[in-house]
Amino acid sequence: MNPLLSSTRAQLPDPALSRRQLSDSASQLPAAVDSQSNPSKHAYTPAPSHMDPDELIDVRLPRAVQAVYLRPLRRQAEYGIPSCDLQMRSYSVRNLEFFADFALRAAYYLGLPASGPVPLPRIVERWTVPRAHFIHKKSQENFERKTLRRLIQIKDGNPETVQVWLAFLMEHAYYGIGMKANVWNYEKLGVGKTMDASMEELKKDLDSKWSLIGLSRKDAVAEKVLEMIDKKTFMRGREGPKTRIDPLPLNPPTYN
Amino acid sequence: MSMFRAKKLDLGCFVNIRVIRDHTKRKVFAEHEPERQALRYIIRNLSLPASTRAKAQLQLTQMHCYTRPSQIRNRCIEGGKSRGVLRDFKMTRYNFRMRALAGLVPGVKKASW
Repeated sequence: MNPLLSSTRAQLPDPALSRRQLSDSASQLPAAVDSQSNPSKHAYTPAPSHMDPDELIDVRLPRAVQAVYLRPLRRQAEYGIPSCDLQMRSYSVRNLEFFADFALRAAYYLGLPASGPVPLPRIVERWTVPRAHFIHKKSQENFERKTLRRLIQIKDGNPETVQVWLAFLMEHAYYGIGMKANVWNYEKLGVGKTMDASMEELKKDLDSKWSLIGLSRKDAVAEKVLEMIDKKTFMRGREGPKTRIDPLPLNPPTYN
Repeated sequence: MSMFRAKKLDLGCFVNIRVIRDHTKRKVFAEHEPERQALRYIIRNLSLPASTRAKAQLQLTQMHCYTRPSQIRNRCIEGGKSRGVLRDFKMTRYNFRMRALAGLVPGVKKASW
């Protein structure tokens, strides 16, 4: 670690005090933090390299660095309309807490009002197996896996900013943590008409996407049926009586 | 059946003949699934002539046994055993225990509650 950082950590102002002041004035952070605590003692002066290490201790850290030691800042949601739910899962509390903290900070600096992390109920799975590889069922052993979950909800988020936030978290994904996000978008009234208008443009993009969604296997079966029914062996029996007396129309096969 | 088997080994886990056989069955089943489903559809479709459906029945019964899904059995990726395989880990109970005790299965610990 940087010697400047490690030596000045003890000099930080009282965390409870500064946390309150920082969060009260969250929206204008740089201006507010400069005016807090004792300005004469902590006024920032760039330290010349030849300074004595003892004097260096009195130099205050930049506020952005200081904030790392404090609880993450938050923005207030004005309307409280949910725009994104991010769920994180892990087997390790440390990693999960760390990454949830990171996500909250990222949301703050992107200007997104975030609430959380909400500790969702953990998922406990248990397995009981015999200790021996052969018989001896009376002596068994229990194993378990606890999946811990945290939920971060973004409110009043601009959809693009939310996407940026999610992409940022994906880019800095932490080991041993799975993430999933539900994103909501809101439209004006009369969505149907606008969607109809934009349908033609979307058609090209949608078709490529739809082709990936699992109808292909069913189509393969339907094609196979038609192929088989048209074969001579199957055609030969066509004139014979139907199994059911009332004739049903021969529709192309559909599967539900 | 060796005619279905891949000419070159296409498996990366523990390998013995039973594992290879099961793997072959999975591939053959996947390949022939549309055909099986088509025949099943013809057999059950009451609007088709009886003889067509009877022929489809015959054809379905004459398909190779490797094309049946019931031939597929989950096997241990560590030792190829077919019994006592935990679905969550694709391992037999003993292999699972050894690996879990060694800390090689993510998140799994000895439980005590």
